[in-house]
Amino acid sequence: MTLLLDQAASVVDRWRRRREDADTAVTRCEADELLRVDLTVNGRPATVHVAPRVTLADALRDHLGLTGTHLGCEHGVCGLCTVMVDGDAARSCLILACQVDGSEVVTVEGMGTPTDLHPLQESFGAHHALQCGFCTPGQIMSAYDLLSSEPGIEAAELPDRLSGVLCRCTGYRNIVDAVADVADRYPQGVPGPRNCGHAEPRLPRATLGGAGTPATLEAAEAASGPAEIAVPSGEPTAVVTVDTHAEAPIDAIWEIIEDTEALATCLPGAEIIADFGDDQYKGRMRVSLGPVRLAFLGDVKILERDDATHRVKVIGQAADASSGDVAAVVDLTAESRRDGGTDLRAVAELHMVGRIAQFGRGLVNDVSTDMFHQFAANIDAASRGEAPVEAAPASALSIVFTLIRSRIKALVRRITGRN
Amino acid sequence: MKAAPFSYVRPTSPEGVLAELSLAEGEAKIIAGGQSLMPVLAMRLGRPPTLVDISRVPAWQSIDVGTHEVRIGAAVRQRAVERHRDLRVPLLSRALPWIGHREIRSRGTVCGSLAHADPASELPAVMVTLGARLGITGPGGDRELPADEFFRGAMTTALEPGEVLRHVTVPRARRGQGFGFAEMARRHGDFALVGITTMVQTEGDRVVRALLGAFGVADRPRLLDVTETVAEPLRAAEEDGASAAVAEALADAARDLVTTGGDKHASAGYRRRLVRVLGGRELVAAFRDSRKGESR
Ligand SMILES: Cc1cc2nc3c(=O)[nH]c(=O)nc-3n(C[C@H](O)[C@H](O)[C@H](O)COP(=O)(O)OP(=O)(O)OC[C@H]3O[C@@H](n4cnc5c(N)ncnc54)[C@H](O)[C@@H]3O)c2cc1C
Ligand code: FES
Ligand code: FES
Repeated sequence: MTLLLDQAASVVDRWRRRREDADTAVTRCEADELLRVDLTVNGRPATVHVAPRVTLADALRDHLGLTGTHLGCEHGVCGLCTVMVDGDAARSCLILACQVDGSEVVTVEGMGTPTDLHPLQESFGAHHALQCGFCTPGQIMSAYDLLSSEPGIEAAELPDRLSGVLCRCTGYRNIVDAVADVADRYPQGVPGPRNCGHAEPRLPRATLGGAGTPATLEAAEAASGPAEIAVPSGEPTAVVTVDTHAEAPIDAIWEIIEDTEALATCLPGAEIIADFGDDQYKGRMRVSLGPVRLAFLGDVKILERDDATHRVKVIGQAADASSGDVAAVVDLTAESRRDGGTDLRAVAELHMVGRIAQFGRGLVNDVSTDMFHQFAANIDAASRGEAPVEAAPASALSIVFTLIRSRIKALVRRITGRN
Repeated sequence: MKAAPFSYVRPTSPEGVLAELSLAEGEAKIIAGGQSLMPVLAMRLGRPPTLVDISRVPAWQSIDVGTHEVRIGAAVRQRAVERHRDLRVPLLSRALPWIGHREIRSRGTVCGSLAHADPASELPAVMVTLGARLGITGPGGDRELPADEFFRGAMTTALEPGEVLRHVTVPRARRGQGFGFAEMARRHGDFALVGITTMVQTEGDRVVRALLGAFGVADRPRLLDVTETVAEPLRAAEEDGASAAVAEALADAARDLVTTGGDKHASAGYRRRLVRVLGGRELVAAFRDSRKGESR
């Protein structure tokens, strides 16, 4: 808890400093440079490094992986890109990312979680207010803005007041019905977003730049020192439990598990790029599978390591430039088997935002199991002093499935990789 | 649709803004709310090498309400003005909700709309009708212009390169004044085919002044003093409540005001008709409003 409080205090501090020199500072960024922008997205601090021409919409989607915000026209006409900025709905394609430094942004992802939908999200479902769903995030954010700033609005006014967002499926009646229903149920004002506003960050700070500049950003990242890492609060997106076993005896296995760098090599594509001491690391995880290239960059911290019970608890947080953020708390235990081998069990609590979060729990579970077996086999090999066997990409599966699967793999690898 | 690259600078003082503008030698563009500029950049209709963001200049962020006037700084967003409960500038308050959508007004500034000077936009017409004054700052110092001298043509204003519209000063409503506003557009949020602003000042039941403003009808907002023309019909309208006679009296005014040719949305003739009908209606509304006794 103190860790969280300290962290909150340091965030407040950062803000205060920013506010204080606001009177004199000139912010400047050349066309071919990247500007660091700190903002709050869905209740938690986020940082992006963007060129001046990058819009808030692109920063949310491409840099923070929050692809719930859709882009239709990209010039202010359709309203699909509507998000809340400092309490008011605005079109994120008409705002430069560098203009929102210090701002608070809420996107549709912040409104609710699949198990805890916002009343508006619930109502859109109940009223069949979406067909293809392309406009829905914009509709929800615009409606939220309307109902929170003008509670008690008459149903007859809704069509005009919701006209800022177009629906190309033209399902306006159901959209208006869905909003009217919520307006009716909450005459004093619609409840706030359900997936933000936690005092402590619910998900880690995403710190990454555009796809074009991984090398410099990585260097900057490594040089930036250890990130603040906190156990995410709130419901995990998924909890995965995997059991497998290795042939090597527990002492040999434990030796690998204990040595974070050795452990990292058991994950194809994983690499420790900075060791900050105190069991905290900066790591990189490259995954290339078929046409998919993901590059996760993140922070890892060993929370607990118990030699007696052969248990490690690790927290990792990472982001891929386009697919999203992942945070994971992984509890890995090794136990001696009667046959001289070692049982391995991992319980991973996954917190995901961005595109990555769209993969269902079932899929995450299935693929995690595969991944963990691969990982365990590599630990086994390493304990015998052999080089890890590279994981073979899935072959019998369709290309589509491979795509999905590879993302999950990346994710799971990242998580188990920090064990 | 992505803007061409540009560099970005965000000063925090008026001097800083002027310095950056002069540094760029007329090449830089000011960005305030970005609600008109960003679409232009996205469509690459403009490719300024530098944007100077004026939205974080504290000196330009306030709405100052005085006894007789309200001063709105360059960084003040339309929605902030809309929300202000104590403005007493009814024409402005009536017009604001007609600008695009809520989501646009969340970011768009009042001064940005004036500087952009779209002939179909609401705020320039409001300012001309109210006789607002525009405060300008530039390399040569500060100056002030009445609204009707500021707008020079379609998207053309009296601003010289390197100058910034730093605020607009709007008179508050006085006792005996009434206002009217109407707009015809294809859909809510679209630019006006025709918009009408009216102001009627009465003393007792005597009309001492009647103004008819129109936008979307020419290359800039237009304003006519129609006191002579409508004083009598207005008084008659008060009795029978109908605006037809007032509209009838506006035939010449409508011809005079509408100078734009027709386009695919509306012919010049249709626009004139709208000016007469909506103008008549809103003059009657303003007349009634002016006689409500207490000023708002
Ligand atoms: C979908 C949509 C619908 C819209 N509908 C309407 C409508 O119905 N009616 C309407 O009036 N407007 C409408 N707008 C435009 C909106 O009102 C803009 O906000 C406004 O015109 C410009 O204000 P801004 O602060 O966004 O200016 P910006 O877009 O930042 O700037 C506009 C122009 O003015 C210049 N500029 C801005 N501020 C200053 C200043 N202080 N001094 C000197 N130059 C300056 C800029 O350099 C730029 O050339 C709409 C926009 C969109 C996207
Ligand atoms: S994508 Fe922003 S308004 Fe269409
Ligand atoms: S549901 Fe398809 S665009 Fe609205």
